[in-house]
Amino acid sequence: MDMIEVKELTRTFTIYERGHTLREVAKSLIRRPMKEVRAVDSISFNISQGELVAFLGPNGAGKSTTLKMLSGVLHPSSGDIRCMGLVPWKQRREYVRKIGAVFGQKSQLLWDIPPSDAFYMNKAIYGVPDKEYKETLDELVELLQVGDIMRKPTRQLSLGERMRCEFIMAMLHRPDLVFLDEPTIGLDMIAKENIRNFIRSMNRKKVTFILTTHDLEEVELLAERVMVINHGRIIVDDTLSGLRKRLGDKKTVRIVTELPVPDELPAGLRIMERIRPFEVELEVDTEILPLRPFISQFNEQFGILDMAIEELPIEAVMKELYSEPDVQSYAAAPVQNLFQVNNGKTRSLD
Amino acid sequence: MKGIWLCWGAVFRVKLAEMMAYRSHFALSMLLLIAGDLAVPLVTLLVYSSGASFPGWSLYEALLVQAVFVLAKGIAFPFFFGMVGTTLSQVREGTFDLLLLKPRPVMLMSMLNGFDPDDFGRLLSGGVLFGYALSGIAAPGAGDWLRFMLLFLASISILFAMSLFLSGLLFRWVGSSRVFDIFDAVTSFGMYPGTIYSKTLSNMLTYVLPIGLIAFVPAAALLGREGWGALWALASAAGIVGVSMLYWNAMLKNYSSAGG
Repeated sequence: MDMIEVKELTRTFTIYERGHTLREVAKSLIRRPMKEVRAVDSISFNISQGELVAFLGPNGAGKSTTLKMLSGVLHPSSGDIRCMGLVPWKQRREYVRKIGAVFGQKSQLLWDIPPSDAFYMNKAIYGVPDKEYKETLDELVELLQVGDIMRKPTRQLSLGERMRCEFIMAMLHRPDLVFLDEPTIGLDMIAKENIRNFIRSMNRKKVTFILTTHDLEEVELLAERVMVINHGRIIVDDTLSGLRKRLGDKKTVRIVTELPVPDELPAGLRIMERIRPFEVELEVDTEILPLRPFISQFNEQFGILDMAIEELPIEAVMKELYSEPDVQSYAAAPVQNLFQVNNGKTRSLD
Repeated sequence: MKGIWLCWGAVFRVKLAEMMAYRSHFALSMLLLIAGDLAVPLVTLLVYSSGASFPGWSLYEALLVQAVFVLAKGIAFPFFFGMVGTTLSQVREGTFDLLLLKPRPVMLMSMLNGFDPDDFGRLLSGGVLFGYALSGIAAPGAGDWLRFMLLFLASISILFAMSLFLSGLLFRWVGSSRVFDIFDAVTSFGMYPGTIYSKTLSNMLTYVLPIGLIAFVPAAALLGREGWGALWALASAAGIVGVSMLYWNAMLKNYSSAGG
């Protein structure tokens, strides 16, 4: 059974516009032109229990607004959401008991006092019984290794330490569904790794996570399913490997040759980066030019000295998707109809 | 209900710990609040020392009105008026989201979040002033005390309703700190005996904008100047609280968070 069912969800905002000149500012004192912005435009999707779904999209795409409606913070303008059988904005109190949220840019901790005091306050707000609170706290403290820091004032903690404590705040009442809005923003590699390990271990216990981030490495390491939102619409709802294949079956090949590789290459090949005269990074569309003939032909022509083959980086896929200004929803459309390849160059979406 | 009291207890403890993190700030805030609240009574003292007076009111009677006013603020400000300030900042920053994610009534969360122990200084200054004013008047009877206490409840309710009106306004009038000026301007009428105003203004301040209920009516009851008939204010205060709660919840629907 689906944990989250979203149907035709739409949210519009009315924003006031005014110019920056003195005349426009003066005019705006009397009359402010209003504009309706459709932040989320009729999106539908389902999420099952235990999934770890990443919401991706450029700034202002509608990710956070969707997340806010899913968490019951905002009312939608139209459409319907059922999360665990509840309507988030109508049965808010019952619903938020079952969810948690971590915002990379909004802290739930209290700046001047230790996180342990904030945990205690959350215990009372959520009405967590003493025994359950102690068990959960002990487990989370061990998993996130915050035993020695949770009694220091929050302002004395590093960003990484604070984020680990934010996760404890969000998980103390044992939620079934957790919203993560850029949870590792600004963290170093070690801190990110700690947080990711924690998310993975909770996800193994069937906690459902919905993640929004711009960190594509995080998506690759955590998410099984990716939803890409742009201009308020879901333009991709797929697995990560499926998302990659939307640009065709492509590989990145870093290659060192005996002879210099020319700029003009046959169909299916494109130079992504010229590192040195005899070393290039190529994008190989294996649907047009499979790897075996590519290697043998390339070796014959230029003499391969060294070579490394990798999947096409997710950044390349996202860049292509984000750059489309008026892209239509094609979440369910067949892959081969979405792209046309011409002379080894990926063209825009239909 | 037990859960709500436990919440209050936990928040009280945590906020106190927060205050104690900066003890000198806490002490200084208390002192400044006491000094600020005693400014108007001090002016009243100077007025009476110079031979002038509020017609029909002795110095101690006039100070009693002002003492009740400061006492009412001493309860309202730490416990619920802080929600105006927190709504102001949290709506503007979009951090009000965090309150909506808690499994308690949003209004309660907003009040708890605005709980401010600093403001207990007002309670202290009000208590001192109240004691001083009482020392100069004839001892009130039991009936006077009972009427006073009931009307003081109405006074707190009016301040609670004002907190909700001002805080609710901030969901639409995002980021406007002028709400505090509005509060100060409107309530300043309540620091003086109602009879010094014209009949029309006095009626307006009692029946339309019930500022007179904050201090003048309860103080008059303690002085034996109001009979049991003054208890109509309780019904009036309950009605205003009801309307303010409906208003606040309706305004909450305007909350649109902040970009993120």
